Amino acid sequence: MRVAGLTALALAALAILPLFVHSNYVLSIAISGFIFVVCAAALNLIYGFAGLLSFAQLGFWGIGGYAAAIAVVDGKLGFAASVMFAALLAAVIALVTGFPILRTNRHAFVIVTLTFALLCALVARDWISVTRGPLGIPSLPVPTFFGFAFASPTRFYYLAFAFAVLALGILYALVTSRIGLLLKAIKQNEALARSQGISPMPYKLFAFVLGAALTGMAGGIYVFHLRIVDPTFLDFYYMQTFLIFVVLGGAGSFWGVVIASALMVALPEALRFTNDLRMVIYGFVLVVAMLVMPRGIAGVFHDRRLNALRAKLA
Amino acid sequence: MEISLTYFLQLTVNGIVLGLLYGLIAVGLALIFGVMEIVNFAHGEIVMVGAFAMMFALPLFALGYWPAALVAMLVTGALGLLLYELLLARIERSEFERSILVTLGISMILLYGMQYLFTATPRLVDTNLGFEGFELGDIRITWIRCVAAFAALAAFVALGLILRFTQFGLAMRAIAQNRDAALMIGIKPRQVARNGVMVATALCGLAGAALAPIQSVQPAMGQALIFKAFALTVIGGLGHMGGALVVAIMLGLIESWSAAFTDAVWQEASVFIVMIVIVLVRPEGLFGGKRVRLG
Repeated sequence: MRVAGLTALALAALAILPLFVHSNYVLSIAISGFIFVVCAAALNLIYGFAGLLSFAQLGFWGIGGYAAAIAVVDGKLGFAASVMFAALLAAVIALVTGFPILRTNRHAFVIVTLTFALLCALVARDWISVTRGPLGIPSLPVPTFFGFAFASPTRFYYLAFAFAVLALGILYALVTSRIGLLLKAIKQNEALARSQGISPMPYKLFAFVLGAALTGMAGGIYVFHLRIVDPTFLDFYYMQTFLIFVVLGGAGSFWGVVIASALMVALPEALRFTNDLRMVIYGFVLVVAMLVMPRGIAGVFHDRRLNALRAKLA
Repeated sequence: MEISLTYFLQLTVNGIVLGLLYGLIAVGLALIFGVMEIVNFAHGEIVMVGAFAMMFALPLFALGYWPAALVAMLVTGALGLLLYELLLARIERSEFERSILVTLGISMILLYGMQYLFTATPRLVDTNLGFEGFELGDIRITWIRCVAAFAALAAFVALGLILRFTQFGLAMRAIAQNRDAALMIGIKPRQVARNGVMVATALCGLAGAALAPIQSVQPAMGQALIFKAFALTVIGGLGHMGGALVVAIMLGLIESWSAAFTDAVWQEASVFIVMIVIVLVRPEGLFGGKRVRLG
């Protein structure tokens, strides 16, 4: 009940935020926050629940961004159709590549997904006839949806907000369902899960493909915020950001990751750090979180609750 | 396109030099994986620190190449010791993902920290060797490249001798080959891992020092190198140093040739495609896989 109440309160606060905040800068940060929290939650599905540290998310992010931009500029598709195309393309590529990648061991999985992401960046830079190479695709049109143009930052804010709520809703429903439990079981002990008649592959593949589709969609929407897509869209910086949110929040905890994302988006901005300094702080947070609280914020709260219960019983 | 023999040989020489420097990086990566089963994401940034150390040390020694390179090796070796004692030693061997995230955090701190301090602008480095060279037949080799190749070769020979004939090196190989058996005969894994990390990071320092006058020095230089080095160690077989070196020289040659003779567009991508295929087909790498499998 408390979670539901807090969520409703947070949603209400975010829904009325543009009424009080008119700074384009703040709105732009909030928009990035909405998009990034979806990517972090999708990564959390794959890493936190299925236990697979996937760097391929960066690749799907880039595929989504480029697919949406190319669909809208060269394909003359509308905004919604382009974003759906981005999600679909990321999902199909995840399905095709996921099957062989998921058969490898965990060392190889990390290396192959990382290589996949780098390959996507190189393709973005080198496949000039399709991606325009280093110049990128500038001046994307203003996204319109059924005749309604998301021209102002406030309008785009609501677009990103709606997307984040929808995507997080889907992920929440999934991780609290039987499938979420099964993924956790496979992560904790694959042999035991197998012995109970659970075949890990379909579940892992499902998590990989759904995570890719949501990340691709997020990338597709984000390019309309940037209004340009170029190879820097596949900078490793995005992957590091998604990872930080997941690790700090606690891999495998839905709310932990959401809260950590909000904190990590808002805090450095509030403290007015330069971009480089913010990434240094992200790096420190990553190292310290891994050493001091490997299960993130969620782990700390979980331990406190357990200790309180123990104290009550004693 | 007509290709003159001279031009071809010139490219070959340049490719071998580049490959040897890649080899220094990849061998260190393989060494750390061998003694700790950690894939070090901060490896490229340590090379970058070595290059910066070279750049700052050169004026102190009147642009003397060797003393400055030695300083770079000491700086990165000390950095390796610090990182090991502070962070890496706390990671258990089974926590593979955790080791990746910790080293990724270290790489972010180093990369963006250096960018914050020294900006992202590339800097040129001048040494007392200048940009002079010597002629070998029709081929012209700059002293900078010649010295870099010599330094890399010397490092490989030294490393090979250490690993084969000294207690220090034999212990590293023992840990890499069979940890339990090594423990049984009284080898201390912590000490060996620390030595391995220090040797590997010192090699990074040498690679950075040698690269500094050849390329330009900038904070992002490590990222480009580390991903290539990952590919090399995977293709060569994780933890297999000889394999990593052979593949590194091949990569240097391919890069040098293809940059001149082909459109070069898909050249970088092809390295990664080859790597993915090899991992999927032979997860133990091209040169690995001599281990006995049960069942």
